[in-house]
Amino acid sequence: MEERINDIVAECTAGIDAAVSVKELTDCKVKFLGKNGALTGILRNLKELNEQQRPLAGKLVNEARSLLETRFDARFRFLKEEELNRKLQAEKIDITITPHIREVGSLHPLNAVRRKIESFFISMGFSVYDGPEIETDYYNFEALNIPADHPAREMQDSFFITKNILLRSQTSAGQIRTMEKVKPPIKMISPGRTYRSDDLDATHSPMFHQIEGLVVDKGITMCDLKGILEMFAQHFFGQGTKIRFRPSYFPFTEPSVEVDVTCHNCHGAGCRICKGTGWIEVLGAGMVNRKVLEGCGIDPDEYTGFAFGMGLDRIAIIMSGLDFKAIFENDIRFLKQFK
Amino acid sequence: MKIPMIWLNDFVQVDDISPEQLAEKLVNVGFEVEEIIYTGSNIERVVTGKILDIQKHIDADRLSVCMVDVGAEITTIVTAATNIRVGNVVPVALDGAVLPTGKTIHTGDLRGVTSYGMFCSGAELKIDGSVIEGAEVDGILILPPETPIGQDIKTVLGLDDYVLDVSVTANRPDCQSVYGIAREVGAVLGRKVKQPNLKYKTVETSTRIPSVTIVNGQLCTRYEGRLVTDVKIETSPKWMRDRLRLAGIRPINNLVDITNFVLLEIGQPLHAFDLRFVDGDICVRTALPDEKIVALDGNEYKLQDTMLVIADDKKPLAIAGVMGGEYSGIMPDTTTVFLEAARFDRGSIRTTSRTLGLRSDSSARYEKGVDWFSVDMGRERALSLISQLKAGKITTSKSSAGIAAPAAKTIQTTATEISGLLGIEVKTQQVVKILKALCFDVVISGETLTVVVPGFRTDVENYTDLAEEVIRYYGYDNIQSTFMATARPTVGGYGDKQENVEALKDLLCGYGAYEIMTYGFINRKQVDMLLLPQDSPLRAMIEIKNPLSEEYAVMRTQLAGSMLKVVYNNTNRKNESFRLFEIARTFRPQSLPLTELPNERLTLSIALTGADEGFYALKEIVGDILHKFGVCYTMDYSKQSWLHPGISADILTDDTIIGSFGKVHPKVMEAFGIHIDTYMAEIDLETFIGTRIATKIYQPLPKFPAVNRDLAVLIDDAVPVGHMIEAIRNAAGCLCEQVELFDIYKGAQIDADKKSVAFSLAFRAKDRTLNDAEVQTVMNAIVQSLENAFGAQLRM
Repeated sequence: MEERINDIVAECTAGIDAAVSVKELTDCKVKFLGKNGALTGILRNLKELNEQQRPLAGKLVNEARSLLETRFDARFRFLKEEELNRKLQAEKIDITITPHIREVGSLHPLNAVRRKIESFFISMGFSVYDGPEIETDYYNFEALNIPADHPAREMQDSFFITKNILLRSQTSAGQIRTMEKVKPPIKMISPGRTYRSDDLDATHSPMFHQIEGLVVDKGITMCDLKGILEMFAQHFFGQGTKIRFRPSYFPFTEPSVEVDVTCHNCHGAGCRICKGTGWIEVLGAGMVNRKVLEGCGIDPDEYTGFAFGMGLDRIAIIMSGLDFKAIFENDIRFLKQFK
Repeated sequence: MKIPMIWLNDFVQVDDISPEQLAEKLVNVGFEVEEIIYTGSNIERVVTGKILDIQKHIDADRLSVCMVDVGAEITTIVTAATNIRVGNVVPVALDGAVLPTGKTIHTGDLRGVTSYGMFCSGAELKIDGSVIEGAEVDGILILPPETPIGQDIKTVLGLDDYVLDVSVTANRPDCQSVYGIAREVGAVLGRKVKQPNLKYKTVETSTRIPSVTIVNGQLCTRYEGRLVTDVKIETSPKWMRDRLRLAGIRPINNLVDITNFVLLEIGQPLHAFDLRFVDGDICVRTALPDEKIVALDGNEYKLQDTMLVIADDKKPLAIAGVMGGEYSGIMPDTTTVFLEAARFDRGSIRTTSRTLGLRSDSSARYEKGVDWFSVDMGRERALSLISQLKAGKITTSKSSAGIAAPAAKTIQTTATEISGLLGIEVKTQQVVKILKALCFDVVISGETLTVVVPGFRTDVENYTDLAEEVIRYYGYDNIQSTFMATARPTVGGYGDKQENVEALKDLLCGYGAYEIMTYGFINRKQVDMLLLPQDSPLRAMIEIKNPLSEEYAVMRTQLAGSMLKVVYNNTNRKNESFRLFEIARTFRPQSLPLTELPNERLTLSIALTGADEGFYALKEIVGDILHKFGVCYTMDYSKQSWLHPGISADILTDDTIIGSFGKVHPKVMEAFGIHIDTYMAEIDLETFIGTRIATKIYQPLPKFPAVNRDLAVLIDDAVPVGHMIEAIRNAAGCLCEQVELFDIYKGAQIDADKKSVAFSLAFRAKDRTLNDAEVQTVMNAIVQSLENAFGAQLRM
């Protein structure tokens, strides 16, 4: 009896190992463990054995069955895995193909830069102000301490519509409109389009973009101006960026400075982009002129403030090596480069 | 402004400092140095030599062999030149010499004779008659016989000089001169600044000097005249010519050179009138009606009654501060000169110069503002130079008009106040030291500083101006970074409108559209290209008075034209499938010409170009946008001239068209030169973009299943599907959750004027599972309704 069981186990194990598909294995299982299977047959014939032999034989059959079932399970798992692998292999596609699917678009590179700059200043508590592109002489010049005969008007040749209405030549007009409406504390930036009578070439355009910034409160100093601009420079141009002030002149600030940042390309060592100086001029700034504050009904003895202005296009040109012609040409191949 | 180092050195010692160092120091105190020009660049190993002997070349008729003393040796030069004589001193380029033309000279064999260099012409040295007489002759440059031999030609010709091209900010007219810059250089180097020589002797004369009357006191605050007799017109001395040339002015004759010299050195424009052409007295007045003048440039100018002229009893002699008249100039036979030094209003000069389109060194200088003191200093300096150059006799005759200079400004401040603005502590002694170096008088009384502003510093008005003087000399590097410790907190951020615009841009990017940016001004022809009707309000465009060209002449009232231009640019370059959008302002005037600021309306423009684009793709985008911003709208076939009448829609809210979209009209496509199907939308964002998007409230998800049914009907082809959906919804009532078109079929088995339209419907009740009977009742109602409204037949 024992011998017979061992033979069945050996025969069945050979069948398990030989099965190469789930189907074959199932057939094999039926053959040995099924209702009419070999092992089941022995169990059925147990009654032919005597009383003493019966328990032992039953035990042996059950052990053999359990052993074979374990082997069947293992083989089933193996074969299923293999079958799945074959199926997965068969489903393989050519991933190098790129079919024409509508891709996601993107912001114009200038607007992407604008958003990044805005997000910094918003995080510092600045509001974003929108002013008109067609402005009065008063907001664009007069209130910014640039009276009619002032030579500073020569600094920017403007497009005029009437004697007193023009395309704004600087977003600084936004300073005045803000200060007329809002009283200190003021922290605002004013991004927008500006227009000056320059022919279009790589570095000039009759329409361009500026971002103006203004802070007015008690006790604001030039050191505060440097602080915020330094933080901005590090946020925008990268950690470790340094800034430097050089004396300059703007009618609406006193003192006035030009602000340079260390070159993002060479980090100050000097390269082609910074023309070997290690510095790049990015903005103009200064302490708000007393006359400007006064004109807006803010007491300059009580409040001080600073203002700064930067050319958005200029920054994009410096950072990405753009030129104005490409910026306003809007070739889709150009636009796609800034995704 | 060009500042020759050699001229600067007349006032403050700079010959022991490199131009680069000086430039850096000037930049640090606010004077940008745009360029350091070395006038002798690219001339190497060219020396003066004296020709000792000239022989004909044995083998070449046209060549001569010369023995030349070049100081260190006597050398042989073979030349083809014919204008040389024994004894001439000439420039000799030695072996290895470099010429400004880029040419290098080497010893060489010329038909059997070795030439150890070359004689140079003026052209080869790139110099003209302003450097030295004879430089322009066709042939070798013959130097004056007394020229020392063996000298570097750069030294001899005064080419060994540096010129700083300094840019002076508009607030510093006092630095628009060599002397003005010298004052700053003196302060920055801590060196004494010499006064210009103002001395001269005078003689009595019997010649009467014209008297001066100023009619328009606001436009001319000071007018000084002096009489110079026994004028001798000659060439001015080399030192003067050199300085003028280095500063970019061509020397002419002694008297003209002196006026130019003083303009550059002191910053005071002067004018010399030949007394022979002055009839009677001088009157400074605005032009008379229809008055004309022929200026020194030979052109006749029609003057306006706001323009200031210098006139005599009979005629205008000069356009004040801009240019003299034809008879006012200095002639070779001029003997008596009326010398003018005046202070004209900068705004008036600017307007006159602009209006006439006439600019001169004088007008450029006046526009920047001439101070009270340079009138006197400039006049005295000119007289001193006339005397020094023996160009004429200075007489005691004077005429003068105008008002006295205002009293010196005084500012009271403290070092604490100045430090307060700067944010760093600058000590009182430091403040005083800096201000004194810059010619301010400072009286200290306790904490208080009483500062007297020098007359030429018209830009300094209050303590903040003094703070600027202090910090630019104390050094901006001393400014520390601080973070607004005293400022109160503010809530920053976008307004609702800006936030919505940014969200809209993201939405469009998600639809695969790329943002473009185009100019706000356009060619007015665009409205014709868009076929806009003559009475279209979009034709009321704001004109720019001084446009760069027709392309940028009017402010746009629509974005479609700019967008189509960009589409054309792309398709023309074989970019054939793309989606673009622009959000920009359109400008709608209340009335024309503009009397108040126009309405600036934020507008959206979208373009879909390509073979796989269509009306419905655009409709989906437009619908999504309107949905996002909660716009309730209806649509109808568009009446826009630039859209295809059958494949376009107007978007209406309360019967107002807020936008249109659809296929671009073939005629418009043709006008813009576009050959690939393009669909465009233009939407006025102002109607909804400023409204904050409403907070969404959670709707519980359905608890009971939906029942789905399909419905196909045969219907007249002309019935719009939208009307059918509306009818289905009305008939189905609140149980109908979804009506979706899934098929339209026309063709075989269907009459030509009919179509089969199939919908997929979903029904659901909030509180129970619907049973078949309930759904069937609704379906019957729907079919009945379609039948009644459109004669639809149910298809089985």
